Amino acid sequence: MRRATAIVLAAALLVTAATAAAEVRIGVLMPLSGKGAAYGIHQEVAMKMALEELEKSHIKGETVKLIAYDSRGDNTEAINLTRKLIHTDRVLAIIGPFFSAECEVAFPIAVQGKTPIITASSAKPGVAAKSRPWAFRNALTSDKLNGPLVDKWLAGNKGQIKTVVILTDVKDAFTKADGTLVFPAVLKAKGITVLDNISFQTGDIDFSAQVTKVKGLNPDGIVVAGLYNEGGNVVREIRKQGLPQPIAGALGMSEPRFVEIAGPAAEGVLVVNPFWPDNPAPRIKKWVDEYKRRANAPPSNTAALMYDSLHIMKGCIEQAGVTNKPDDLGKDRERIRECWAGLKDSPGITGTISINADGDAVLEPTVLVIRNGRYESLR
Amino acid sequence: MLLQQLVNGLMLGSAYALIAIGYTLVFGVLKLVHLAHGEVFMVGAFVGLQIVLWFGVGAGVALLGALVGTALLGMVIELVAFRPLRARGAHFLAPMISTIGVGIVLQEVATKVFGAEQVGFPHRMEAVTFHLGPVTVTSVQLLILGTSVVLMAALHVFVTRTALGMAMRATAESLLTARLLGIKTNGIILLTFAIASGLGGAAGVLIGLSFNAISPFMGIDIGVKGLAIMLVGGLGNIYGAMAGGLILGIIEILSVAYLASSYRDAFAFALMILILLFRPQGLFGSAYHVEG
Repeated sequence: MRRATAIVLAAALLVTAATAAAEVRIGVLMPLSGKGAAYGIHQEVAMKMALEELEKSHIKGETVKLIAYDSRGDNTEAINLTRKLIHTDRVLAIIGPFFSAECEVAFPIAVQGKTPIITASSAKPGVAAKSRPWAFRNALTSDKLNGPLVDKWLAGNKGQIKTVVILTDVKDAFTKADGTLVFPAVLKAKGITVLDNISFQTGDIDFSAQVTKVKGLNPDGIVVAGLYNEGGNVVREIRKQGLPQPIAGALGMSEPRFVEIAGPAAEGVLVVNPFWPDNPAPRIKKWVDEYKRRANAPPSNTAALMYDSLHIMKGCIEQAGVTNKPDDLGKDRERIRECWAGLKDSPGITGTISINADGDAVLEPTVLVIRNGRYESLR
Repeated sequence: MLLQQLVNGLMLGSAYALIAIGYTLVFGVLKLVHLAHGEVFMVGAFVGLQIVLWFGVGAGVALLGALVGTALLGMVIELVAFRPLRARGAHFLAPMISTIGVGIVLQEVATKVFGAEQVGFPHRMEAVTFHLGPVTVTSVQLLILGTSVVLMAALHVFVTRTALGMAMRATAESLLTARLLGIKTNGIILLTFAIASGLGGAAGVLIGLSFNAISPFMGIDIGVKGLAIMLVGGLGNIYGAMAGGLILGIIEILSVAYLASSYRDAFAFALMILILLFRPQGLFGSAYHVEG
């Protein structure tokens, strides 16, 4: 009797093992708490939308398991979780992490572990290029975003803007590069003088001194390179101190939380991102409506990119001949990497996605303006 | 612009001062560094915010509600985390560790209940801006300054002119002697916690209103600053805390205005070390008791 039980148990274990093997595992890293939680929470909604579809359609006939962790936007956490996903969870590939600073430290870990890693957000130029060939970025770098933003901004103000002051969050890797390198270069190319570059830091709450300084310089326009929390409060302080100048903001501020925080002060602020939420194409409108229903908020660009990344991942796993056998993990990861490297004209919610030689996605930027507390596309 | 920057510093400083007073009161009476005070301040901000969201009332009611709410919280903290330790004659470091624990618990609970996101008061409570010549001040800034001054004055009167205040000073002087003289020291300690925490809670609402950045982690940075101010002002001295707060606020603002924001805290704290080098007892420090 006891032996019979043992055999049944062993058989049950075998069955479990077999089901466990026939499961496509993909790792996801998002900031669900901490400095950028709103970004991650939006990505999570999109991830669940994609997951429900993948659960129905399966990936090459196998069930799908997304192993999602909260990186808290913290570099150390990003490193540890990337290691865990590669070596303990043995995922085929990783989507994430969110912030450029996290990517800068997590990508080398993925290169060591020979695992494809794709961020659906990081926008600091050159981050994926430094970790060839395993790192990719399904996001548009800010050097390709800020040109169109500044063009629309200058045109909208009919050539009134000749001088600009930039306010930069120097603690965040992305906004620092954006405010101190990318924006100055773009503005210089258009013949605009940057009077001063004034810094603040992620986590600051008082921006009165910086804004008073801007007031003293009296520029024609103000550029804010910040994330949504600090960016929102900087814009609020600018209007509070009575500065009327037009404001353009960095990619980090194209997140609905920015409008909530800045409130009425956000009116007329221009931002840019690679997603067109008002796109009338039926497929995209349907997706946006479904997203709004679930999240009770319009989708941000990084949510759309997360959704697209998961679908591209499904396509890659199915087309590249991934066997998903434990012994083949190394080869499978290589296959997925090659697929991402050669990605061309993949139709996504964000647009037609191709990956260039730097590992970065090629997407079309959309400039957004805040009117009546909502983002409207300027297209 | 210098004038405006000084006003900015004065406003930031008076908020700091309110926090530092809480530290200094508890230290003055108990010789205890209350490391959860930053979290009490954070809870105050959330209590004020919830009152506004639920009842749609104005800043005044929120301020009062937060004051009462955190005063009660302060009493609970004393009863749960300190009194048992005192009764059992624990090592003098034990209560300090206990305050760290209280702080972590409050932070985690706030994260669970309110989420980790930064939130702010509704925009309808947006400040009215006054332009006085070259200087711009907002109604919220005036409220901070006014509340700080009123609360500090009230505290001064309480400590110097009332029997309870005298009992508090006696307890600060020597717990044992005060008890021998018939003062109910446990009650006085409870009262001290209530007052200190209430002030911290009020500061939470004022800073939340002013900076629109309420989060479960808002108490960490400001807690450290409050501690530093208490030291620079002179341990246990209420006026020292007020002066220290204003000094830190103004130094911070000036270092952002004329250096860079990256040096904000470094510069401010370096200067505080300098002050301590010349006056180790702090600016107003003389003895280890609450001074009127």
